[in-house]
Amino acid sequence: MEVPLALIAELTHRCPLHCVYCSNPVQLASASAELSTQEWQSAFEQCARLGMLHVHLSGGEPLARQDVIELVTFAHDVGLYTNLITSGIGLSEQKLAALVKSGLDHIQLSFQDSREADANSIAGTRAHALKLEVAKKVRETGLAFTINIVVHRKNIDHLDELIALAEALGPQRLEIAHTQYYGWAKENIDFLLPTRAQVVESIETIARAQKRLSGKLRIDAVAPDYYARYPKACMGGWGRRQMLIEPSGKALPCHAAAVIPGLKFDNVRQHSVEWIWWQSESFRKFRGEDWMLDPCRTCDRRVEDFGGCRCQAFMIAGSAERADPVCSLSPDHHLIELQLVRANSADRPVRNDGPVPAEPASHWIYRPQPI
Amino acid sequence: MSILDNSTRPHLAPGCRWAGAENNSTLVYPEGALRLQPTAAAILERCDGQRTFEQIVRELQNLYSASEPDKIRADVASLLNRLHEKRVVDF
Repeated sequence: MEVPLALIAELTHRCPLHCVYCSNPVQLASASAELSTQEWQSAFEQCARLGMLHVHLSGGEPLARQDVIELVTFAHDVGLYTNLITSGIGLSEQKLAALVKSGLDHIQLSFQDSREADANSIAGTRAHALKLEVAKKVRETGLAFTINIVVHRKNIDHLDELIALAEALGPQRLEIAHTQYYGWAKENIDFLLPTRAQVVESIETIARAQKRLSGKLRIDAVAPDYYARYPKACMGGWGRRQMLIEPSGKALPCHAAAVIPGLKFDNVRQHSVEWIWWQSESFRKFRGEDWMLDPCRTCDRRVEDFGGCRCQAFMIAGSAERADPVCSLSPDHHLIELQLVRANSADRPVRNDGPVPAEPASHWIYRPQPI
Repeated sequence: MSILDNSTRPHLAPGCRWAGAENNSTLVYPEGALRLQPTAAAILERCDGQRTFEQIVRELQNLYSASEPDKIRADVASLLNRLHEKRVVDF
């Protein structure tokens, strides 16, 4: 058993954006249930003592917390590498200056698209123009930053433009992340899952850009698991590398773990971070290999991908113990293939240049504000 | 991509730093950490934006005098180029 490397601190589920692929659970934590400043600080201190190196301050929108500067300062002072994962909305020049002063190590700024109208449609609010302004200000501070773009059926054809946008804004790194189909994204999967042709083209576009921009802009991209032969090593293995604490203090092995029925998540209000990591039932449940069934149990790849994602296994195959159904070796793989048939159907083109018009994305289910 | 030559002054890229006073062989950067072998740590400690590649190579050759000097030069270059691609080291 290993000591965790990173804490994902979902400071709040409040967010000015309503992205249709948000990774927050469908059951959002309310503002009144959030941990206090002191409770978060205590958690950070315990994480650092346990040996964690990073804290990723996330949400919702972490800037929605009035005490975000205080929290960054504290996390930095206990020795954690502090990364702010933000939409940029609410990042005034004063707040940015205060963050730099507080010892923030890195900022990750999200964009939804290269085209303003499309970006705003995904975010469910007019955020794109503000984000462009924020990115310029971040660049001026000299703070290390990454631009993150979640790609899907509606924006993956704009990758050349998205890469050009990142080049113009000048981060050190561009992260191109495929939508993961949990929570809100699962609700919207029909409008988000790209076609095979789109995925193949995007891989070529990214490879060309990586070569051209080597040493200037680092581009990290991961192939989408629905189109891969084997599953992703979700979270680097269950209870192996990372802990997530959601706004009300519940500690989870991953973003989506709450979908798995019967798992009890312990809270940092009642237990120490160390106890939760080593002893809590939810972190032990799928740690290691004892829980595995065939084909994972005897598969050589089990030490690389740890059987893939437990939440995806539950959501699609109906049981969290089964192999991740995206795996081509999974007995449930046909369920993924059915979804792919639908995504690649000639009746559902993505562009308006054929006999059948592309579907308008008028059926988005937007992520609301927590009550 | 920038080319490494004798006058290059490599330094840690923005967002990349040593993990802390008690952890002088671990580099942390936005999406991960590198636990370094003593030789790699000796190279990266010297990437301060002041020393040139030439100076770093000489210091490493003195430090590991038993090894072949050409091999040390090649090893330093290879490590720095790899970390430059990852945007851990800039020059």
